[in-house]
Amino acid sequence: MARSYLFIPANVPRMLQNADVFEADALIFDLEDAVSSHEKDEARALLARFLDEHRPEGVELYVRVNSDDDLEKDLRTIAPYDVNIVLPKARSAAIGNLTTLFKRLKRRFRVLALIETPKAFFELDVIAEDKMVDGLILGAVDLLNETGGTFSEDGDALLFPRNKLHYAARAADIRSIDTPWPRVKEGLEHDIKRTAALGFDGKCAIHPNQVPSINEAMSPSPDALYKALRIIKKYESEQTTRFSLDGEMVDKPVIEKARKLLDKAKRYGMEVGEDG
Amino acid sequence: MVEKDLERLLDALPLEDGMRISFHHHLRNGDDVLNPVLKAIMDRGYKHLHLKASALFPVHKQVVKALKSGCVTDITTNYVSGPVADHLSKEGLEGSLTMQTHGGRARSIIEGGSPIDIAFIAAPAVDESYNASGVEGKNPCGSLGYAIEDAQHAAVKVLVTDTLTTIEHVQIEGRHIDHVLKVDSIGDTSGIESGTLAISSDPIKLKIAREAMRLLKALDAIQEGVSFQSGAGGVSLAVTAMFNDYLKTHGLKASFYSGGITAGHVEALEEGLVGRLYDVQCFDKRAIASLKQNEAHIPISASDYANPSNASRVIGDLDIVLLGASEVDLDFNVNVTSDSYLNLIGGSGGHSDTAEDSRLTIVVAPLIKARTPLIQDRVQTITTPGAHVDCVVSERGIAVNPARRDLIRSLEKTSLPIMSIEEMQALAHHYTKRPAAVKKGDVIGIVESRSGGRLDTIHKKVV
Repeated sequence: MARSYLFIPANVPRMLQNADVFEADALIFDLEDAVSSHEKDEARALLARFLDEHRPEGVELYVRVNSDDDLEKDLRTIAPYDVNIVLPKARSAAIGNLTTLFKRLKRRFRVLALIETPKAFFELDVIAEDKMVDGLILGAVDLLNETGGTFSEDGDALLFPRNKLHYAARAADIRSIDTPWPRVKEGLEHDIKRTAALGFDGKCAIHPNQVPSINEAMSPSPDALYKALRIIKKYESEQTTRFSLDGEMVDKPVIEKARKLLDKAKRYGMEVGEDG
Repeated sequence: MVEKDLERLLDALPLEDGMRISFHHHLRNGDDVLNPVLKAIMDRGYKHLHLKASALFPVHKQVVKALKSGCVTDITTNYVSGPVADHLSKEGLEGSLTMQTHGGRARSIIEGGSPIDIAFIAAPAVDESYNASGVEGKNPCGSLGYAIEDAQHAAVKVLVTDTLTTIEHVQIEGRHIDHVLKVDSIGDTSGIESGTLAISSDPIKLKIAREAMRLLKALDAIQEGVSFQSGAGGVSLAVTAMFNDYLKTHGLKASFYSGGITAGHVEALEEGLVGRLYDVQCFDKRAIASLKQNEAHIPISASDYANPSNASRVIGDLDIVLLGASEVDLDFNVNVTSDSYLNLIGGSGGHSDTAEDSRLTIVVAPLIKARTPLIQDRVQTITTPGAHVDCVVSERGIAVNPARRDLIRSLEKTSLPIMSIEEMQALAHHYTKRPAAVKKGDVIGIVESRSGGRLDTIHKKVV
């Protein structure tokens, strides 16, 4: 499961060429907001050529498609490639319409639903439970434009949508992915810590320089991994789900959490050392 | 007697056609000594001069006029950029261009292989005994490292200053000096900082910096007492910052940083992360201020920095150096003298010196620059021989010189993207395709090795 989702404008050759060197776990090629309406055709052609000749390996690939009349053109363009989609301004009805479209194209895409309208929050359960949907992404800028809230470092205006989206994703056992922080550097670390503390699985990035910080914050810390390793080792040697370690009681949920943490570290290629 | 008029000074100097005159580059792009002095000499009609400037920057436009007029016919320097470089690349010169290294220049001046008839030395502050300081005066430049050999070995030595005062930090002793010229201004200190200072925000360069740090960690190269040198480019500054962070978080202290000194080096000194700074050149105002105030920040001459004949040269004890490249070839030869299209863009400076002396030489560069691949079959100009280059770090992988089997063994079990130089080239060609051969024009000069041999020839661009 990806920690970082980096948006790459599909109409910028240099960004496309270097997309896979920025260490993001997932790339979202953007055909929507990053591309002006008169450049859409050119961007689709460029993206198709890039996927033909330089498809990045070892990274999850998504395309943020348009939600309007361009949607079908976008899907036809990317249908031959092993990519999935981010659906902007996702609503339950729009996701329902995808089924028809996919049938017509004879190509089923997995969907990350970009939740960026207030109304979508009142149908999140339905969106999250849809079989095509693999995850929910919070799109804060558009959302706050509608709610009148401020995207600030204190994060107050996003407390409800962040929690609501994360809980809906958890309940449906799909990914919860936090909104990108709008500034490249200033305030980023603070915002990422909040994302991690709320329990999100991943976070979007709008600039490559945001990716290392996101990956680090969304990864288990070396200390936490070392502790998890010791919990699992003691559990395996004592064959009991209730014991004490360093004066702290360990029971089944703690063991399960430690196991999940170690699995996560393995997925990210992190080394779990015996010496912490 | 201090002369206050350039013309009267020139009257007093034994100027002749064909003379060898020198300048240093510590004021970098803020220098206002070379241009007016050369113009005055040119206006007097002298011909066939050999210009021996330690480096030439974009500000030195007068050199182009002097080349066109026949006033200057030969140039020996360690670095050339801007209009002079453009002119040489396209038009060549009547005589020859010799590109030296910083250490090689000092060696050749001391040993007599590259004599100087008159040295014009920009000096930010001069006292009544003709002692000179680089850290005092109204336009300080910091270390005067590249002027020391000129001041000691030229036949005639002239200090050019805008500040006559008592000085505390003597870098050039008055006993060597024959004349002092007082001018209104020797230049602009802020010009020192052009093209340097800022840690890169380019994500590709930052990726390269992170990969270089991962390599250093994987090689376990950062130990207590380590010595380190990096330049003032964006990648180097980023690695220096990461290097400092690593020292701090691991409770380590480096023995010294050397070469061109920046604010990042100074911060490390002030935080106790490094014992000494050996400063042959200041790259920013923070470095200049530190050189003036901090006894552990030590000015050194070019000879004490990198002269291969000087057994006690500082870089003889250097553990790690980080260097740039415009091209690298399949034998690990590095070019920082020209680009792939034969445009002169710089020169060795200390590149070749430090690569040869340092125990670990890491070249950092983007794999693709403006659709041109970094790795070529053969570099256009060899600045630093591949035998002295250990690793090439790009954003897409790391190539280790096969001659360094010890490094290859150390990296066998790491997750670093280690690849052969041929694989790295193929990776670049995947995006750029194989570039067409570039036709070389006439030979206009040579790259001289630090010990004085001919390393390569420099060709004119075919326009």
